[in-house]
Amino acid sequence: MTNWTLFIPELYSLGAAGVFFLFCLCRPDSRRDYGAAMILSALGLFLTVWSVGFQGSLFEGVYRVDLYSQVFKVLIYCGFFLAVCLCADLSGVDESRHSEFYFLLALCTLAMMLLVSCVHLLAIYIALELSSYSLYVLVYLRRGYQKGLESALKYFIMGAASSALMLFGFALVYGTGQSAYLVDLMRDLPGRINEPVVLIGFILALSGFFFKLAVFPFHFWAPDAYEGAPHQVSAYIATASKVAAIAVLIRIIALSGGQSDRLAWFLIVLSVASMTVGNLAAIAQKDLKRLLAFSSVAHAGYVMIGILSLTALGYASAVFYGMSLLVMKFTCFMVVVKASENGRNISTGDLAGLHYRAPVLALALLLALFGLAGIPPTMGFTAKLLIFTAAMKQGLLWLVIAAMFNVVISLYYYLQILKAAYFIEPEGQPPPIVVSTPLKLAAIAMILLMVAGGVYPGPVIDLAGDMTMGLFP
Amino acid sequence: MFSKPVPADSLYLAWAAAVFPLAAFGIIMIFLRRLPKAAAGVSLSAIAVSLVCAVCLLARHWHLEMPLESTVQWMASSDFEIPVGVLIDGLSLLMLVIVSGIAFLVQLYSIGYMAGDPGYARYFGFMSLFAWAMTSLVLAPNILQLFIFWELVGLSSYLLIGFWYEKLSASQAGKKAFVMTRAGDTLFFCGWLILLVWGGTVSILDLNHSAHSLSQAMVTASALLVFGGIAGKSAQFPLMTWLPDAMEGPAPVSALLHSATMVAAGVFLLGRLFPFFSQSDAAMTVCLFIGFVSMLLSATMAMVSRDIKQVWAYSTVSQLGFMIMALGAGGYAAGIFHLTTHAGFKALLFLCAGMLIHACETNDMFEIGQAGGRRMKLTVLCMTIGALALSGIWPFSGFFSKEEIMAALAAANSPVWYIGGLAGVFLTAYYSFRLIFVILLPGSTKAHGPGSQSGPEHARAVMHAVLVILAVITLVMGFFAESLQNLLTGQGVNAPGVHGPFPAKVVSPVLAIAGIVVAWLEFGRKDSARIGFAGRISPVARLFGQRWYLDHAYGWLVGRILDRGIAEGCQQNENRVIEKILHTVAGSVTACGRAAAGWHRAMIQSKLMVVFAVVFGLTLILLAA
Repeated sequence: MTNWTLFIPELYSLGAAGVFFLFCLCRPDSRRDYGAAMILSALGLFLTVWSVGFQGSLFEGVYRVDLYSQVFKVLIYCGFFLAVCLCADLSGVDESRHSEFYFLLALCTLAMMLLVSCVHLLAIYIALELSSYSLYVLVYLRRGYQKGLESALKYFIMGAASSALMLFGFALVYGTGQSAYLVDLMRDLPGRINEPVVLIGFILALSGFFFKLAVFPFHFWAPDAYEGAPHQVSAYIATASKVAAIAVLIRIIALSGGQSDRLAWFLIVLSVASMTVGNLAAIAQKDLKRLLAFSSVAHAGYVMIGILSLTALGYASAVFYGMSLLVMKFTCFMVVVKASENGRNISTGDLAGLHYRAPVLALALLLALFGLAGIPPTMGFTAKLLIFTAAMKQGLLWLVIAAMFNVVISLYYYLQILKAAYFIEPEGQPPPIVVSTPLKLAAIAMILLMVAGGVYPGPVIDLAGDMTMGLFP
Repeated sequence: MFSKPVPADSLYLAWAAAVFPLAAFGIIMIFLRRLPKAAAGVSLSAIAVSLVCAVCLLARHWHLEMPLESTVQWMASSDFEIPVGVLIDGLSLLMLVIVSGIAFLVQLYSIGYMAGDPGYARYFGFMSLFAWAMTSLVLAPNILQLFIFWELVGLSSYLLIGFWYEKLSASQAGKKAFVMTRAGDTLFFCGWLILLVWGGTVSILDLNHSAHSLSQAMVTASALLVFGGIAGKSAQFPLMTWLPDAMEGPAPVSALLHSATMVAAGVFLLGRLFPFFSQSDAAMTVCLFIGFVSMLLSATMAMVSRDIKQVWAYSTVSQLGFMIMALGAGGYAAGIFHLTTHAGFKALLFLCAGMLIHACETNDMFEIGQAGGRRMKLTVLCMTIGALALSGIWPFSGFFSKEEIMAALAAANSPVWYIGGLAGVFLTAYYSFRLIFVILLPGSTKAHGPGSQSGPEHARAVMHAVLVILAVITLVMGFFAESLQNLLTGQGVNAPGVHGPFPAKVVSPVLAIAGIVVAWLEFGRKDSARIGFAGRISPVARLFGQRWYLDHAYGWLVGRILDRGIAEGCQQNENRVIEKILHTVAGSVTACGRAAAGWHRAMIQSKLMVVFAVVFGLTLILLAA
C-alpha cells in the first residue's frame, strides 16, 4: 500500500510545473508568470518544510522518505524559491519564453527532489537525467548571447559522456551485487569494495554525480555554462543543483561503508585537483560569472574533503558545507543579477562603487565572499572548520594543508572582487542600483544567516548530524 | 591543598568590590559623558561600595589562618584549564582596603580639584576603570588573571597621564609610561609563560608552596623575568624615568596611581610571590640590588629638582626601592608595612602639592614659596606631617615602617645594604625638608597671598577634609604595626620579626634629623644661600638634574639601535627580500592561473579526452597499487 501523503511535495511540484505548462500554451505575460512562480514556489517551500518530519518508503522501496531526503528537499526548494526571487527582472530570457523558463525550472526542481529520495539505481539515473535535461535547455534560453548555444551544447555533451560512464558503472555494480536497491547493495558492497570489478563499477557510477557537482575532471562544462546561461539559471545551478548533487553523492558513497583506501585515494586526488584547478583558473577570470563557476569547482573540491573522510562526521560536515554554499553562492548571484543591466554579463570591474550604489548588497557580498574564503565569523568559516576537522580526525593533515594553500590562493580573487566593490571609484556616473524591498529583505536574511552560521552554528550542525545518521542502517 | 574555599558571603563581597567600579565605568562612558555631576556621583558611590566591602572583608577575616581561594573555570584548552576567582589572605585584604580607601579619598578630593574641567566625566570614568582593574588585580588567585588586570591598570595609567592630551608633553608622557612599562611587562609575560609551560601552574598558592616542577635555575630565571615586570610597574632602575614624566597628569592621579597604589602593584606582586622568590637566592639578591640602586639614584635626583610634584615622584621611586630592598632582604612584613604607610603619607603629600599648584598655578617650589604658599596654613601643616612621616620621624607612621626595614637590612648578609639604607634615610629627610623649608620659609614673599582659590567653598572644605583624614591616618597608622604584622604573617609566610641591635635603632632617626638640620642650614636659615650642597658642584648638579643621563641613554638606545639599526634593517629586509619573494610567488601563481584558464578555452574533444584519461588512468593506478 502506497502512502501518498509522503509524496505530496513532489506531487505539488508536478502540479506547479503543469501550471506553467498551461501558461506556455497561452499568450506570453511575464508579470503573470513571475507572480505565479513567486506564489507557487513560496507555497511549495512551506509544503516541504511541513513535510520534514515524514518517514517512510514508497513504490516498493524505490523511494525513501526520511529526515535526510526531506531536509534536502527543503534546501532544493529554497534554491528554487530564491532563484525565482531573482526573476523580477528576467531580461536575460526572451519574453515569449518566460513560461517555458519557469516550467523547466519547476521540472528540474521536481527531478532533484526525486533524486534525493531515490534509493534505487535506475530511479536515481532517471531523476538525474530529468534534472539535467531541464538544465541543458535552461542554459540555452539566454537571449542575445552568441555563445548560448555553444555553452548548452558543451554542457550537454559533457553530461552525456558522464551519463554513459555512470550507466556503465551502474551496470557493473548491478552485475556484481545482483540488485539495484541501495539497501541490498549496502549489505553486499562494503565487503567487496576492493575487488577490481566492484571498485571500477563504483568509481564509474560516481561520475554522473561528479558531473553535477562539477568535480575535476567533469567540471569543464561549468565555466561555459555559468557564463552562457541566464543569471538566474546560473544561480540555480550553483545552489539547488549543487545541494542535490552533494545529497546523492553522500548517499552513494556511504554505500562503500568507509572500507576502501583505494576509493578514498581516488576521491582525494579528485578533490585536490578540483581545488587547485578551480582556484588557479579563477584568478585569471575577468567575467564574474565565469569566476564564480571556477570558485564552484574549487568548492566542490572542499566538499569532497568532507565526503572522502568516509565517516559520519565527514558526511555531516559536507551537508553543512552544502547549506553554507547555498546561502553564499545565492548572495553572490543576487549581486550579479542586480549589478548587470539588461541581463548582460558583468566583469569584476563593473562592481566599482557598489558600496554606495547599494550598501546592503555590498555588505551581503562582503560576508558571502569572506564566507567562501572561510574567514570567521561567517557560516563559510564554520563549514570549512567542520570539514577540516573531519579530515584531521582521519589523519589527513597534509590534505588539510593543501586545502589551506588553496584557501590562500582563493583569497586573492575574492578580495579582488571586494576591492572593486569597496575601494575602486567607478568611471563616470553609474546609476544607483534600485533594490526592491523584498530583495533587500532577502539580502538582510542572507546576512543574518551567514553571521548566525558563523556565531551560533550549533543547531544546524546537530541537524546535519541527525540527517546523516539515517544513512547508516 | 594550601587553601580553604571562600565562604559565600565573602565571595560576594569580594566580587562586589571589584565589579561596582566596572559598572560605574560602563555607565559613565556610555550614558554620562555629558553629565559631569552624575558621573562623579556614580563613580564615588561605586568606590564607596568597594571600600565598604573591603572593610567588611577585612573585619571578617581579621584572624585569618589559612588563605581562602575560590575559582571557577573560565576556559579550557585540552588538558590545561584557566580558572578565574578570588584569593583572600592578609596581603590581598590589606591591599584591597588601601586601594579602595585611597581611591575613595582621592576621588572625593577630585570633585573639587577637577571642577570645571571639560573632561570631568571622562576623568571619573577612567578613575572607575582604574579602581576596577586594581581591585581585581589585588584579588587575583593566579598569575594569568593578575597579568590581565596588571595590563588594564597600565592602560588606565596611560589614559590618566595623558588626560590633558591636548598638551603635547602630557600625551608624550603617557606614551613613555606605556612603552617603558610594556618593556617590563614583556619580561613578566615571558616569566609567567615559563611558569606555565615548565612549571605547569600559574596559581599563586601553588607557586608559593613549591608545588611546581621547575628546576632551581628555572625558578631563578622566571623569578627574574617576573621581576622585570615589577621593575617596570614600580619604576625601578633601569625603567624608572617614566614616573617623573607621569606627573603631567592631574595631581590626584599622581596621588592615587603614581604613588599610593598602581606603582605599588609591583611591590605587591613581589610580596604576593615572596615565598616563590625566596626559593632563589640569586633573585633575592637582584631585588636587593635593584632596590638599592633605584633608591639612591632617585633620592639624588630629588635633591636638585625644583618641581614640587617631581620631587615627590623621585621620592616615590626611592621609597619603592626601600620596599623592594626590604623584601629582597627577607623582610616581608616590613616591606608591605612600608607600602601601607607610604600609600597614606605619599597620597597626602601629592594632594597637598595639588592644592599648592592649584592655588599658585606653578609647579616650581621656589615660586610657590615666593607666592606665599605658606599662607595656606592647613595645607602646609598637612604637608609637613607627610614630610615628617616620609623622613621617618617619631611618632609618624613612616618612622615605624622605616625602622622595620632598617632592621631587615641590618640582618642582611652584607653591611653594604644597611649603610646604603642609612644614606637613603639621610637623603630622604634632606630633600623632603628642602622642599618644606623652601615653601615655609621663603626669603621674600609677594605682598598678597596666592590667587583666589578655585572651586566653591564646600568643595574646598571637602578637599581639606580629605587632607585631614589622610594626616590623621599618617599619625596613627604606626601604632597598628603589630596587628598588621599579625595579619600579614598569620598565614604561614616565613617572616620572623627581625629586630636589629639597639644602636641600629638609634642611628637612622639620628640621620633623619641630621638630614632635616642640613636642609634647614641650607634653605631654612634667614641668610642661607638657598642652594643645596649638591647644587654647589655644577657637574654633580647637572648629573642629578639630568637624571643621571638615563633618558639620554634611552634616547641613544632607541634612536641608534632600535630606529636606525633594527627597524631600518627590518625595513630593508622587507623591501629587498620579502617583497621580492612575494612578487615572485604571486607572479608564478597568477601565471599558473592564466595557463589553467587558457586550458578551459580548449575544444570539447580534448576535454573529453581528459575526462576519460583521468578516470580510467586513476582507477588503473589505484588497482595496481
